[in-house]
Amino acid sequence: MMRSASTLRRCALTLLAALLALAAGSSPRPAAAAGKTTLVLGVDISDARTFDPARQFEYSSPITMKAVYETLVTVSPGDYGTVKPLLAESWKLVDGGKAWEFKLRKGVKFASGNPLTAEDVKFSFERLAHVKDQPADLTENMGAIEVVDPQTVKIAMADKNQPLLTIFTSVSYAVVDAKAVMAQGGTSAKDAEKADKATAWLDTHSAGTGPYVLTGWTRNQEVVLERNKSYWRAPAAFEKVVLRHIGDGAAQVLAVRRGDIDAALNLSPDQLESLAKDANLKIVSAPSLDYMYMTLTSSADLNATLAKKPARQAVAAAIDYDGTIKGLMGGHAIRPATFIPIGLGGSTEALTKEIGYKQDLAKAKKLLAEAGVPNGFSFKLSYGKASIAGTSYDLVSQKIQSDLARVGIKAELDPMDQATLRTAYKEGKAQAVLTFWGPDAMEPYLWAQPSIGRVAKRVHWTPSKDIVDLVNRAGGEPDPKKAAALYREYERMLIDQANYLMLIQPVYRVATSKAITGYQLTAAGWQVDLYDVKPAK
Amino acid sequence: MGLRYVLLRVVASAAMAVAATLVVFLVAHTVPADPVLAQLGDKQSANPETVARFRARWGLDRPLHEQYGIFLARLARGDLGESIASRRPVLDDIRQYVPATIELATVAGFLTIVIGVPLGIAAAVRRDGWIDHVARFLCLIGVSAPTFWLAFIVLALFYGGLEIAPSPGRLDVGAGAPPHVTGMFVVDGILAGDWASARNALAHLVLPSVVLAAATIGIVTRTTRAAMLETLGQDYVRTARAKGVAERGVVRRHAFPNALVPVLTLAGLAYAELLAGTVLTETIFSWPGLGRYTYQSALAVDFPAIMGVTLLVALMYLAINLAVDVAYLVVDPRVARR
Repeated sequence: MMRSASTLRRCALTLLAALLALAAGSSPRPAAAAGKTTLVLGVDISDARTFDPARQFEYSSPITMKAVYETLVTVSPGDYGTVKPLLAESWKLVDGGKAWEFKLRKGVKFASGNPLTAEDVKFSFERLAHVKDQPADLTENMGAIEVVDPQTVKIAMADKNQPLLTIFTSVSYAVVDAKAVMAQGGTSAKDAEKADKATAWLDTHSAGTGPYVLTGWTRNQEVVLERNKSYWRAPAAFEKVVLRHIGDGAAQVLAVRRGDIDAALNLSPDQLESLAKDANLKIVSAPSLDYMYMTLTSSADLNATLAKKPARQAVAAAIDYDGTIKGLMGGHAIRPATFIPIGLGGSTEALTKEIGYKQDLAKAKKLLAEAGVPNGFSFKLSYGKASIAGTSYDLVSQKIQSDLARVGIKAELDPMDQATLRTAYKEGKAQAVLTFWGPDAMEPYLWAQPSIGRVAKRVHWTPSKDIVDLVNRAGGEPDPKKAAALYREYERMLIDQANYLMLIQPVYRVATSKAITGYQLTAAGWQVDLYDVKPAK
Repeated sequence: MGLRYVLLRVVASAAMAVAATLVVFLVAHTVPADPVLAQLGDKQSANPETVARFRARWGLDRPLHEQYGIFLARLARGDLGESIASRRPVLDDIRQYVPATIELATVAGFLTIVIGVPLGIAAAVRRDGWIDHVARFLCLIGVSAPTFWLAFIVLALFYGGLEIAPSPGRLDVGAGAPPHVTGMFVVDGILAGDWASARNALAHLVLPSVVLAAATIGIVTRTTRAAMLETLGQDYVRTARAKGVAERGVVRRHAFPNALVPVLTLAGLAYAELLAGTVLTETIFSWPGLGRYTYQSALAVDFPAIMGVTLLVALMYLAINLAVDVAYLVVDPRVARR
């Protein structure tokens, strides 16, 4: 019996030793070392569905799309109103303002070696429209495309009073190598929805002019990019870029500390604080164009009190906006006056101070009396089980609940899963919703229009003709300054209406290794332009 | 008893797996969420034409009984349909995520048996001795520590702190997978003679499998101990001892085989549970397995994926139960004679 027990102990010890040896034996090469030829990002890529430009419409994938494809025009971080050249050298309005004509840059080649021509532009944009997947909705205002000569392409607008040029900055308008895509079964014909077969190939390869090429994607594991050897500008700084899937923020913290990854993209405010003092790391930040907002219904069937404007205005006057940003976001957020985020269409922090909501409990009480409910009322606040920039809707809704309680308004919290919430919201069945808005393209009209269109429907508000006209005039106004003045008028009307309360426009932050430089965040949709990222000297 | 019994069981199992899909289908459709509205972007979901097109693509515009009929007809052809969230055949998704899970569950299951069973025997044989106390303490920790906590502590200690464990994920950053045969990287690495990949994959398996095994080891140890204590108190054990059989022989030949039946049942269930995937462990170790896929599919109300996973998990449970029942035949001859 003694022998039996000691054999057992020996076995157990051997097994333990073997496990430890195995784990220790394969200590990986830290990304920080090795002459820095590989850039590794630690990022949650579980949302990735495809890397076909005509189908991709996710959150994390545009990082890759921006690195492997290029658009005719683009915008720089922080300056989203100024359209800059990329594949197009110059452009002008032609045909009495009904079309844009682009002159393509000379000498640009795709990674395959094929030269970039106007035919590629026509093919790419028509394929985007005809594949009819999610991003096709961005082609609403795109009319006929005409190849004027190999270096010139003319794109008509369906409605010259609606924006188009700014929408071309979206990664959905990537210019693909028509020959390469057609060779993989791609087509831009009208029946592309069924006939196009190139997606499977485009998921693991790229056909663009960008500084990198896509060489592999394993779902929920990693995306691998390699340097494009025939790039038209100076070659990219890294031979290889790996977007490593690390879904958990805490695991990203460990990995970036250890140097296994050069940047950790999905960290909560607490996790970022814990890294702030690490001498090998740097926190980079930039305001996003995303925001968390609350809707209040105008439907008397859903909530008879909320349907009255003064009651909604009372809610707006009772919320402690600054306290929410300071307390829940650690101050790393801003707040737009209403539906247009700060950074676009003349929306600034100063404007929010001037015309936006602010907490004023006396005013809230007066408004409640005006609405006929001096002692307050109650409504149901629905939100999803999710978080924005590491702060959960749970926390924000609790903060709102306690703010409103101070004037006697009772918010009944109604948490649900995101799918159920989106259904209830989009079908207009909720009294009040706490949710999120992210950009489609760098065009303020894409915010203003829904606020008086589909989103207005969800809150059962019928906008006046005045406000609709105002938004349409602003959308068709080519001078950004004049457009901003029109948007300001619209914003005043929207604020008075009090169906939308903007709460948090987060400042996104990423922890990067000091072994790299040039990691500049952008709110334009692609998060970072990997071409700018270089090894530190 | 024998072959006919096994065949009957196989047929009954398949029927039960399909029945399980019907239950899940009905339950999933009571959720007030619309998968198309949940999946589409804000602008797209306001476009009736886009919504109708997406509904038609997954047959969501048809009555419920027709939708289930289509599922069954496809199933008969070995097709599980297309996932709404990933936009590719559910079978392709499953083919990608299942090998990662099988690999992890099998290593965890192996650790459970080789540690749990001997520990349980030792605890019973030396009841109230130090080994019993140590085993009880370890089991308590393993069973009661929340998995996500344990997973994170283990990762922080061995990966972040001591720096002896590899990064989360199945392979080192940028290390390509071995040529695809089974999708299990250790096996594929060995088959291809790619020892570096096999070793790399095995190293990445250590931490998550230890975390998963922690809970199951506790259960198996306690069950083994209880079963051993019971058999050690039986008359035939006393008789054996009276005959002068050495204690080692008593434990090995008389007590242990008779204690095996409950242990086997439990080990089977534990393995099935591991195979069904473990969301928290998979999340922290960035393990692209079935648990996470199931979780994401449920959140997205991705009907085809939910149905596919249900069918698969039901089949795995039934197959393991069947294997356990067949194993009874081997360890307990009385079952065969019945």
